[in-house]
Amino acid sequence: MTSDKIALMAHLMRRGGFGAGREELEARAAKGYEATVEDLVNPREEPVDRYEFLRYHPGYIRHITSPGMGSANWLHTLINTQRPLEEKMVLFWHHVFATGASKVDHWHELVAQVDMFRERGMGNYRDMLVALAKNPAMIYWLDNCDNHGYAVNENWGRELLELFSMGVGNYTEEDVQECSRAFTGWTIAPVPPRIYYGRFDWHFDYKEEDHDDGEKTFLGHTGRFNGEDIINIVCQQPATAQFVARHLYNFFVADEPQVPAWSATPPQDPEAIDTLAKTFMDSGYEIAPVLRVLFNSDFFKNARFAKIKSPAEVVVGTLRFAGGAEFPAPGIGNLAKNTGYMGQELLNPPSVEGWHTGVEWINSGALMKRINFAAEMLGDVDRPGIQDIIGRLQVQGELPPEEFVDSCLDLIGPLEVKPETRLQLVEHATEKGALRWGTEREVGVSTERVGEILKLIASVREYQYS
Amino acid sequence: MVTQLAAGRVFDFSRVVGRTAVSGMGFTQPVAVAITGGDLVYVLNRGWEQISNVPWNRTQNGIRVGMVTIGDEPGDEEFVGDFAKRGDDPGELIWPTGMALDSHGNVYITDEWLNRVSIFDSRGKFQRMWGAEGAGEGQFSGPSGIAIDQHDELYIVDSRNHRVQRFSKNGVFLDQWGGLGAAAGKLDSPWGITIDQQGDVYVADHKNHRVQKFAPNGRPLAEFGSYGTGRGQLNRPSDVAVDSDGDVYVCDWANHRVQIFGPDGRFVASFRGDAQELSKWAKMSLEANPDAIRRRREVPSLEAEWRFSFPTGVTFDLVKNRLIVTDCQRGRLQIYNKLKDYVQPARTI
Repeated sequence: MTSDKIALMAHLMRRGGFGAGREELEARAAKGYEATVEDLVNPREEPVDRYEFLRYHPGYIRHITSPGMGSANWLHTLINTQRPLEEKMVLFWHHVFATGASKVDHWHELVAQVDMFRERGMGNYRDMLVALAKNPAMIYWLDNCDNHGYAVNENWGRELLELFSMGVGNYTEEDVQECSRAFTGWTIAPVPPRIYYGRFDWHFDYKEEDHDDGEKTFLGHTGRFNGEDIINIVCQQPATAQFVARHLYNFFVADEPQVPAWSATPPQDPEAIDTLAKTFMDSGYEIAPVLRVLFNSDFFKNARFAKIKSPAEVVVGTLRFAGGAEFPAPGIGNLAKNTGYMGQELLNPPSVEGWHTGVEWINSGALMKRINFAAEMLGDVDRPGIQDIIGRLQVQGELPPEEFVDSCLDLIGPLEVKPETRLQLVEHATEKGALRWGTEREVGVSTERVGEILKLIASVREYQYS
Repeated sequence: MVTQLAAGRVFDFSRVVGRTAVSGMGFTQPVAVAITGGDLVYVLNRGWEQISNVPWNRTQNGIRVGMVTIGDEPGDEEFVGDFAKRGDDPGELIWPTGMALDSHGNVYITDEWLNRVSIFDSRGKFQRMWGAEGAGEGQFSGPSGIAIDQHDELYIVDSRNHRVQRFSKNGVFLDQWGGLGAAAGKLDSPWGITIDQQGDVYVADHKNHRVQKFAPNGRPLAEFGSYGTGRGQLNRPSDVAVDSDGDVYVCDWANHRVQIFGPDGRFVASFRGDAQELSKWAKMSLEANPDAIRRRREVPSLEAEWRFSFPTGVTFDLVKNRLIVTDCQRGRLQIYNKLKDYVQPARTI
């Protein structure tokens, strides 16, 4: 197996999933790159058994107001899924259709929303927009439950056009108003109050008597439009294809400017965006064909370590690599809060605009949290993923400092670091000489040194890149 | 319907006891209930993770055993007290799962994280504990359901070892059966357990979607249910109880109902939850909140309020001939009487 094949596969699995250990990378590389893309786009592995988590943590079925902890059962899925691209797309849509607990205050409704993203995330975008418009958490988040035929609320209508489909500059204020009229009567049915028997599930409710059935003119089309008609027109717009394509490029290929700047700043690779947008339109708004084109493209393959990892990628990728968090042990709610400490509280984005990405993920506080978290996990030599690295180093026999460092960088990624970074790691390793495994004492010392060097690798700049 | 006539039996919904509360008059994710010879019931509360930025053994809230007298009529219930709390010190609990009483009224509680059994006296004073993690004889990986026979011998479901172990009341290992599998006598992540008046043992075979009946020595005798949502089918049963007629009540956890089978395994009836009247304590919460009263009056149908949501534990009260179900997500008990003297009204009435 050539190291380049492994490195390319590692790139695909970091972006199309949350990374992979060496054994998985070798197996996938042996199967081939395009075949692996196909496996990712059409996963055949069993979904995570969600009941396993709920059996041990019934309190998370409808979790109470408790910042950050309500995403614990999603974290369990993120850690355990064998369908990594499917879950990555859940994260993608959660970022695009950002909906937050700060207002919704019903974690289980947000979990239901991400369940919908899991079901539809690689399916048809038009159908997902319809499901999104009927999603109770979204309806409450963007006030469509207060959008009446007799008193229009434009929040959902505006964000549908601005942040969920076409982007600013591709519609008028009149279009926003007419769009909003079309969604009047799309609401959620009242449920019993939560104060005596806990929270009840919300359900979509279409109230025909509250719907404005009058004639509307939207993006040049005129008719007595209802919500689905609006979504059909939105999907026909080239701007929508460009918008979705640019989001996918930003998430999977390379960091773009923040979304509000897109109307003023052209994409860094317009040709790539056009390719993705054309596939989107040609396929009738299907997402899977776009992902297939994206992952097989040269612009993707040449974008290694061109993106700063999101906090979710840091936490989930590190936990999956190090292992040991597969069982939902007590304290998983606090484990789930770690992405929030790094600036990305899952199920609670700062606004409907989602999180600002790229370099905006990094500040001195968040960087310290990232490094400390990764160092703690990767430096824990009892974790199965780290044990695997130790085992692979051990079979190589005595390792001089340079080979020790190179092997660790290879097995943890492969992680490509700058020469000066590598030099610093080698200097540190040289202080204690070669790695030896001859006696029980040497095994103990070397095991400790592996944990130490992995901690250092977790703290280098390059570890924060995908 | 709150009175159900089925296959010669009459089941009559009695009432609901409880509300969600992390202390006092109410429950927090109740998972098991045990009844004394009198009116006192013990309700085991699993609690939930709620407290941030603390070590793993301090994050949960609401873990405790609630002591409640339930009486016979709606409104009879009285909160008596509670005992035990979260933590991993002696007398504390992390993942309390099963509960049973011995002939002296001592309360035995399994903990499927700490892999031990904690014993309290009838007033909740901690007595002792035993158990250790492992797969060997007498060790545990996730002890969950527990039942105590008339000789005070303990049958404990060892869930992640997919077996049942029998112990003396002092924790001395006696024997075991099961093992991972789907064949008769094998188990997959079993959960609840009960013993009938003949001494036969029933186990909620959680991931095999069935209940298995065993002789006291572990010989498989029968099985109830298969995977599905239809009549007599089960989706991850969590607990089982048996009445004096041999009828078998199964907590059909992921189908949000209780399924009832006759002694011969035939499906008899299903309960989906019938809490049409609020409990006494729930009314207290509601009446203290005018906004909640108004909101509740807006709800087109209150059926969601009546129904079970992940019912987790069942116990049959042989003295009062009634079934008590822990309605986990709703923080309450739903109680059904099995009537022996019901006079059916004329159809023409």
